[in-house]
Amino acid sequence: MTSRIDAIAAVIQSGRGTRAYSLDNREAEQVLSIALALLVELAASNDRIDRLEREIATLKGQSLDALREAPLDADAQKERQEALEAMQLRVLRILMDPRDGG
Amino acid sequence: MRVRDVQHPMLPQATEEELSRQRAVVSLRKLLNARVRSQNVRRFHEEGAAAFAERNSRQPQSPDDIQAALFESMGYRMWSAANRSAQEMIWMSVGEPIFRDRDRMQAAARALAEAPDRKGSLHLDPDYDPSPEIAGTDVHLQPGGYGRDDGPDDIVAGAFYETGGNVFSFGQGAGKGDSKAGVIFRLLDEEFPDFVPGRILDLGCSAGAASCAYADRYPEAEVHALDIGAGMLRYAHARAEALGVAVHFHQMDAADLRFPEASFDLIVSHNMLHEIGAEKRRRAMAEALRVVRPGGLVIFQDVDTRFAPTEVHRVEKNWDTAFNGEIFWQVYNEADLVADMRAAGFAETGLREHNVSAVSNINRWYVISGRKPVDGTPTA
Ligand SMILES: C[S@@+](CC[C@H](N)C(=O)[O-])C[C@H]1O[C@@H](n2cnc3c(N)ncnc32)[C@H](O)[C@@H]1O
Repeated sequence: MTSRIDAIAAVIQSGRGTRAYSLDNREAEQVLSIALALLVELAASNDRIDRLEREIATLKGQSLDALREAPLDADAQKERQEALEAMQLRVLRILMDPRDGG
Repeated sequence: MRVRDVQHPMLPQATEEELSRQRAVVSLRKLLNARVRSQNVRRFHEEGAAAFAERNSRQPQSPDDIQAALFESMGYRMWSAANRSAQEMIWMSVGEPIFRDRDRMQAAARALAEAPDRKGSLHLDPDYDPSPEIAGTDVHLQPGGYGRDDGPDDIVAGAFYETGGNVFSFGQGAGKGDSKAGVIFRLLDEEFPDFVPGRILDLGCSAGAASCAYADRYPEAEVHALDIGAGMLRYAHARAEALGVAVHFHQMDAADLRFPEASFDLIVSHNMLHEIGAEKRRRAMAEALRVVRPGGLVIFQDVDTRFAPTEVHRVEKNWDTAFNGEIFWQVYNEADLVADMRAAGFAETGLREHNVSAVSNINRWYVISGRKPVDGTPTA
């Protein structure tokens, strides 16, 4: 069995011919394409989280809704807030980076 | 027999995460079709036409003008870019499991093809150059295209076609009961109820989904199927064996049939016309007429883009030509297929165009059928 990295590389390498662009700005089109690919990755991650939640709910003998609606305590909320800000900084770096006119 | 989402050993064993990606791509394509593409004609009328007129001091008229006017709309450009990206992701999402699992799939295919109790056969022609017209093109962006052949056991093109085809079709709103062969069975039942073919030929069979459905529907018949690529045909043959039906696969060009005159009762093609140029199409029609027996039927089924209600709708549907590697899509949309059938020698009587509904969804298909006169004399 081939590794998933080799498999993905094989798909990418086996394309032939040319590809037509639709946007006036090819860079923008590539970014759109990356964003859509991330949308697909996010959907796959959400499926994994959902699967875990179902497993845990079953293990705890709890309803799925109860598990999902369990409020975060103050410490957890603080931790999530920090994680959120860090993620937003990572994702929106280009808007703030002086080298990109931010 | 079902033709979509059929289980057999050559399907890649995708992980749950890979299946999640495939579902996400299906869903993205559905959304783009239903909510974004569906606005393109309005975008032309509300934005594109006026912007074109301002830039060119005239109204858009020719198909090229309409195309240029569509591109004046930002919404259209964004849809076009997103649609191309979603199409590439079909192949990424099915390609990863295929290449991961390729060794096992190839071994399974070889075992089925060489099984002592095999029912069908495979005839590759090492001297055949897979249709130079499309050899350099990734038709519908499928990596490596239809003619792909990576070596003696290669089945990648067939695996891509079947698994990517499922993702594509479900994104178009087709369900698991979708069947283009089913459309022809219904047409035969309705219009030719006494017609029972003894020998059937399926032109441009790809992974053989329709070919197997014919073999299943007419168990007494001898079913032959052809396509241009060895990787596609090895897969198709093994798949037919896995499903337990007898189909004889040939690497052959539809425009140059190596079968004797009057050797088939029914010749069909599903979605092949839009993949070939005008010259090849005319030769394929003439060849079909030559090898069908007097009284036999020739049926070409294809996409419904020819039924566009207005010129703007038609140009909008030409998108695939430039952006989806469907180099003959527009040629097909604009062809006079009745004239081609007549020029190929089909008599006017017995020549019919049909606009038929799909068997399990709201999509429609174009069908043109011709019957060879019983005295066998071509009329043109
Ligand atoms: C869109 S696919 C349709 C496949 C299949 N009949 C189906 O409906 O699923 C078109 C097929 O036509 C084949 N094709 C293209 N040019 C051809 C030719 N000149 N002779 C025979 N087949 C050809 C391609 O290789 C491809 O597999």
